[in-house]
Amino acid sequence: MDALTLELLNGLSLFATLAIVALGLGIVFGLMGIINLAHGEFVMIGAYVAYVTHANGLSHWLSLPLAAVVLFVLGACIEVGLIRRIHRRPEVTILATFGLSICLRQAVELIFTKDFRGVPNPVPGATRALGVLFPTYRYVLIGIAVVVVVVTLLAFTRSRFGLTVRAIVADRDLADACGVRTGIANFCAFGIGAATAGIAGALVAPLGAIEPQAGLAYLPGAFLVVIVGGFNRLWGVIAGALVVAAVQTGVIHFYDAVWAQIASLALAVLMLQLRRVPVEAANP
Amino acid sequence: MRFEAHGLRSGYGSVPVLHGVSFCVAQGEIVALVGRNGAGKTTLVRTMIGLLRATGGQLRLGGADITRVPPSRRVRAGLRAAFQERSLFSQFSVGDNLRLSGHPPAEHGRVLGMFGESLAGREAQRAGTLSGGEQKMLAAASALASTASILLMDEPTEGLQPSNVGLLGDALALARQQGRGVLLVEQHLALALRLADRFVVLEKGEIVDTGTAGEAGLGDRLSGRLAL
Repeated sequence: MDALTLELLNGLSLFATLAIVALGLGIVFGLMGIINLAHGEFVMIGAYVAYVTHANGLSHWLSLPLAAVVLFVLGACIEVGLIRRIHRRPEVTILATFGLSICLRQAVELIFTKDFRGVPNPVPGATRALGVLFPTYRYVLIGIAVVVVVVTLLAFTRSRFGLTVRAIVADRDLADACGVRTGIANFCAFGIGAATAGIAGALVAPLGAIEPQAGLAYLPGAFLVVIVGGFNRLWGVIAGALVVAAVQTGVIHFYDAVWAQIASLALAVLMLQLRRVPVEAANP
Repeated sequence: MRFEAHGLRSGYGSVPVLHGVSFCVAQGEIVALVGRNGAGKTTLVRTMIGLLRATGGQLRLGGADITRVPPSRRVRAGLRAAFQERSLFSQFSVGDNLRLSGHPPAEHGRVLGMFGESLAGREAQRAGTLSGGEQKMLAAASALASTASILLMDEPTEGLQPSNVGLLGDALALARQQGRGVLLVEQHLALALRLADRFVVLEKGEIVDTGTAGEAGLGDRLSGRLAL
């Protein structure tokens, strides 16, 4: 019973991590139709913001809003300088953001070297709940991730701003003709997508090593979540993260991590087949 | 406020459609733009609002050159269009369509009641599930209820039942009374003849005839031009 509870808590932690990492991709890829292969690097830079915050003797919790601001500015600059010039051409977007991811990794490497960095756990120790000991910081991570994801999703689905972004995706010409400032809306949406990736990076920073290649590990999982959750459905990020976390945790429990990855990929392929929506269809 | 096109050229890619169109719409008048299918009427409206790039000529609104100004700024400057097709976000609710067009929720009742009861109380309904005629009424009502000085109405009566054509005509006449300028793109010649102050006939991307309301034999001339 305790082993099952522990697996459930591990699954919940994985769900929260996947959801917050995939949230930005859900906005940028799922909602705006932009295939951003540099999303993992946004997460990695968020982790470095946490490292710099810690290196300057500041609280880890300060790194969360700091990472959001730094990544919003970076994302907004990328949208203005690169994305808005190419977003109607998916194949160019893929190549450009792939190049961007390399540039960002190299830039971070130039500044911080290839050395592994770390951030101490701000909430060390474990808490006993449901009969098992579980790291306290992971409970905190789950709570913060859920709040960030839900608040962001509400902002995009219930607010005037969210309606505007969805209108641009649905019919950019009509949105233009309605007087919608499409440029500003895309700028903000891309910036918010990057900001949530930054928060995710700062949040997961204490759980592992921080290094320039770290972002690569997050990208496939984030795409899996968006594919499984469904294109153009922001709330699908939660469903997608839940399904992928359940599959991975379950398969790891009964087999191993390699089979868990295989199962997740098979699930993504199955979902694409069932919906019969090619990836490029997400890009209007 | 006056909207002017001077030698306007436009088209799709390398295919030119408009070949130097010049005309104007002043506040307090209705100008009917008539022409056969494929004459370039919709291309003209899309170029005027900024969805198609002018490849030559000039567009002026209130004296200011807006030829290179993006559509959203043209709308904020006082221009508004209701298109023949794709005039609504079909997957959004009626209320969300009105919000996107700049109408706060408090105004929705007034906008939806503009053409009788058929749209009243249907804010929550998905716009794509309205009938074709209802969608046209919603798009027209949204444009007419805006504060724009110049309205570009592209075939607003297409698909409307006769009683609603009458209501739309009354609403356009009211817009003129309020001092707004209307470019009415219309195949429904009877309505155009009833409402318009001036007429512009477009043929193969060029203006081939103009006329003023009350001119002797105008109806027959326009009918001949449209080969009705």
